[in-house]
Amino acid sequence: MRKLGPPSEIRRLAAPIARVLDGAWQRMHWWIGAMALLYLLSGITIVKPDEVAVILRWGRLVGPTPALQEHGPGLLFALPEPVDRVVRVKVKKVSEVAVSTLITSAGDEEDSETSDLNTLSPLTGYAITGDHNIVQLDMVARYRVREPAEWAFYGPDSERILKAEVTSAMVRSLGEMAVDRVLADGRKTLIANATRRAQAGLDGARSGLELSSLELTRLAPPPALTSDFDAVQSAFIGAETKKKEAQAFAESAIPQARAGADAAVQEARAAAEADLAQARGDAAAFLALDRQYRSDPSVVRERLYRDAVERAIGGAGSVHWVPPPRGGSYRGFRITIGGGSRSGGTGEIDP
Amino acid sequence: MGGSVKIQRYLRAVVGSLALAAILYSAMAVVVRQGQAVLVTRFGRPIRAATDAGLHWKLPWPIDQASLLDMRRRVYETGHTEMLTRDKKNVIARTFVVWRIGDPLAFTQAVGAEDGAEGKLDGLLTNAAIGTLGGHDLSALVSTNPSDLQTDQIEAELLGSTAPVALHNYGVAIEQIRLERIALPEENVSAVFDQMRAERRQFAAKFEAEGELEASRIRSEAELEAARIQAKGSEEQARIRGESAAQVARTYADAHKVNPELYRFTRSLESIDKLVKSNSTLILRTDSEPFSLLQSKDGK
Repeated sequence: MRKLGPPSEIRRLAAPIARVLDGAWQRMHWWIGAMALLYLLSGITIVKPDEVAVILRWGRLVGPTPALQEHGPGLLFALPEPVDRVVRVKVKKVSEVAVSTLITSAGDEEDSETSDLNTLSPLTGYAITGDHNIVQLDMVARYRVREPAEWAFYGPDSERILKAEVTSAMVRSLGEMAVDRVLADGRKTLIANATRRAQAGLDGARSGLELSSLELTRLAPPPALTSDFDAVQSAFIGAETKKKEAQAFAESAIPQARAGADAAVQEARAAAEADLAQARGDAAAFLALDRQYRSDPSVVRERLYRDAVERAIGGAGSVHWVPPPRGGSYRGFRITIGGGSRSGGTGEIDP
Repeated sequence: MGGSVKIQRYLRAVVGSLALAAILYSAMAVVVRQGQAVLVTRFGRPIRAATDAGLHWKLPWPIDQASLLDMRRRVYETGHTEMLTRDKKNVIARTFVVWRIGDPLAFTQAVGAEDGAEGKLDGLLTNAAIGTLGGHDLSALVSTNPSDLQTDQIEAELLGSTAPVALHNYGVAIEQIRLERIALPEENVSAVFDQMRAERRQFAAKFEAEGELEASRIRSEAELEAARIQAKGSEEQARIRGESAAQVARTYADAHKVNPELYRFTRSLESIDKLVKSNSTLILRTDSEPFSLLQSKDGK
């Protein structure tokens, strides 16, 4: 013991500590053993379901590739501090950042107050479209961490890089489109282009972030021009209405004409049928009469003649009888007809 | 108790060596975390810079000193700078740059504090932007013609003209430069507004005229079609009538051919029926049929 021991001066200094240690060991060596064990096990942790954890050993990432560096949810065996440090990253969490760089004033407040309506200060957010129109837009970007290690140790500030990349991507995507496409049917294309470019930018900056969605909460021409854009809109709607009215007219006029034509044709057909039926009936009656006539012509003839005369006399409004002329002529004979509705009421026969 | 004494002796050795290790560790070890770099100076003179994470060693204070640098990427946005394009148009551009410390030693010597880098970058970037945009037309930035656009090229030029300088002069590695905003000087904006207004009015007029034209086209086409249908209907009607009349005539003719004489007789009688109406006045001789019978009976 003496041979192995340190120089006597240090030994003298260390003696009280040694005594404390000896005493402590004698009294609570179980406790000390348990605590040493606990310390050794203190690196074991649980990674929560929405997290990914990486281990830093003496500050250095453990594992050669991202796949081996990242540990998913479950038990994670690490060495105790200060050797290992476990860094957790919430990879499932989708965060949201408002990107208002293209609508609000980047400068001081007074700038927006004093500015005249017919212009915009360059500090006010806006973007120029491909056909040199000005639009303003407000966006919301949603993002999450895709590469936990890259993001945690090297990634730039998430919100700053997102705002910058999204703004840049949007400015560029607007700069290649015409304003009327942007404000109408091109909106989806615009968002798709901007999202793609922003993600390329985020990847280029090796931010470790993923842009989950980009939403346009507002996209409009500057307030000074709103009424002009609205006028175009209402002109467009007016034109569409006129077209629709014309179409409605066409849709009713043509069937109406068709119905009219059909009705006329049907009517003609019906009349033709009726006429023909009449003609056939008449013909049949005539043939029947003819049969009778052939068997006894004079009787039939007489009967027909008499029927006709009776009908004529019965149907006439008034009948006058005159004696047969004396000497074969009516010279000097006068007749007065009255009671007819005809003006005059009096006629003369004077052959 | 011999075992206990042995354990005690081990314990003393363990505790003693742990204490010694702790002292040495705190004096000589530098843990460089992922994302950091260390710069070791000996009596103030930089002797070593390490960018790899892990455990690094130095001599204890006061001989060596280690300072840790943050190697994270950072975003810096320049101010809005007015510049002239090749086609002599004033534009206001703002760029942003993603940078990190590329050379810890050069960075510490040239820039010193980490926030000092941005002032240096601003000048560098602004000059580069003025130079680069001066070589391109405005249509390289905003145009509906895809072949005009050269944003990628401009950004590459900016990176090419600044990155080597920044690394060499300031130890700053520029990883990305992008045009963040393109704006116009205030006085040009009102001209753009006027042009936009004129364009809107033109569009409104165009829509109105087109709507009018299209509507009248649809109407007249419909009217024409309706007239065509009606004409076709009338034609069909006339055809049916004609055919029917012919058929009727044929039917009558067929019947009457059997006995033309009887036909003429019955036609005459029918004519009498048709001609004598309630407002007609008949003047008959008393000796005509059928009253002639009465007369002759009377003998007059």
